[in-house]
Amino acid sequence: MTTMAMGQSEGTWSVTTRVIVYAAIGAALYAVFNFISFGIAVPWSNEVSVRPHYGLLTFFGFAFGPVVGFLTGFVGNVLGDQLSNYGAFTSWQWSVANGLAGLIAGLFPVWMASRMTTVTNRAITAAVGGVVATVIGFLFIFVEVVTQQEMSFNAILTTEYIPVIIVNAIAAAIVTPILVLAWEPLKEQIGR
Amino acid sequence: MRASFSFLGRGSWLASRDPRVPILAGLFFVVGVSQLRDSRQLAIVVALALGYYLTAGIPWRAVRLKWLYLLVVISFFAFFNTLISGGRTSTFSGAETHVLLTIPPFGAEISAEGVSLMLSQILRFAGIASISFPMAYAIAPGDFGVALRRLGLGDRFAVMIDLTIRFIPTLAGEFAETIDAQRVRGYDPTARKGGPISRLRRLAPIFVPVTVGSIAGAEDTIDAMDLRGFGVGRRTWLRHLTFGRVDVALIGLFVLFAVVATFLNVTGRSDHFLLPFLVPGE
Repeated sequence: MTTMAMGQSEGTWSVTTRVIVYAAIGAALYAVFNFISFGIAVPWSNEVSVRPHYGLLTFFGFAFGPVVGFLTGFVGNVLGDQLSNYGAFTSWQWSVANGLAGLIAGLFPVWMASRMTTVTNRAITAAVGGVVATVIGFLFIFVEVVTQQEMSFNAILTTEYIPVIIVNAIAAAIVTPILVLAWEPLKEQIGR
Repeated sequence: MRASFSFLGRGSWLASRDPRVPILAGLFFVVGVSQLRDSRQLAIVVALALGYYLTAGIPWRAVRLKWLYLLVVISFFAFFNTLISGGRTSTFSGAETHVLLTIPPFGAEISAEGVSLMLSQILRFAGIASISFPMAYAIAPGDFGVALRRLGLGDRFAVMIDLTIRFIPTLAGEFAETIDAQRVRGYDPTARKGGPISRLRRLAPIFVPVTVGSIAGAEDTIDAMDLRGFGVGRRTWLRHLTFGRVDVALIGLFVLFAVVATFLNVTGRSDHFLLPFLVPGE
């Protein structure tokens, strides 16, 4: 529509109006769903919640690029924490990790562009990308070895990293392709 | 469904400060407190942080459950860390521990060192929460965007934060409407049995239409912003922010805290403190 007429290019790292609005919607949705399902802990883990809506984050990254993915994860998690009892800075490392996962999910369409010739291929790539982004992005929580020196590496690995990537990878692998399949026909309709 | 930010600290001393103050306070506090390990120092810091918290005038009745939840979660994972590490991390790594209790069947040890580590961890989180809560409740939701802009964040990102805050109640409303619509079709949102995969499947009929509908509706917002020339030139903000002397002094105190904590960390004056009453005779 009018976006390109305003002289804003739409490269991978461009911050256009579209990116701003999609990121705001992604972050708001992520925060709302975080708020709703917050607090259902994974057994034998700490500070890790079942978050089936995690697939939203990888979807927004995959569909709209790494900037939208990062902002959806980071801002969405910060605001979700604000809505659900925690303050914004209480678990800032998790917010950054969510942002990084969204960012990496957003890089997959760039890397795999030549292979995504059909909707099915896009959905499969989205699922794989979501899982890989989760595994890599959440490595950031090991920063706790520095910021919370009481936490041993093994404790972070066994009670935080592994439970969270299992839960989130399942969500990403199932929800991301579902949303891609729902979004693709609509995308054609609205001329994206 | 109600999902919006509560400005519980409205009218308080802290809420009347420049909205950048609670944000910067939180930032410098996290930088500082992450470097402290000695539970005696952390106890002093928590006491001061609680003093700061009180200036936000957050009604206790409104947040007591939030505090309880937070402290339970913090204590739970600090305890779990103690069980896994046995107290052999950080300052106490490699040292012989004083085992207080061994829990069967795996022989997990609760040691004096582990309890000391746990105390430091809980105090640090309590301190961060004391500073973080006012950030959530003593800043008017409409001030977040301009505050972040004036802190150096780009116009577009500041607007994005503003938009997100405005979208949250709207999307929560759409979410509630979608649940009602699906309920008519036989969907049961209250069913809570099953594991993560079952929950995931149960949520799909809700968040797929909400998500796709929101994205489709975003095109109108994008067009409206573009038609008003968003992003073409420098943006002006209706709200003007100016630091007062008290604001500067308050931020200065938090900067000072971060500097002192860094000094203590770098010079090795903030190692974990082994609680003496747990190791009598030493």
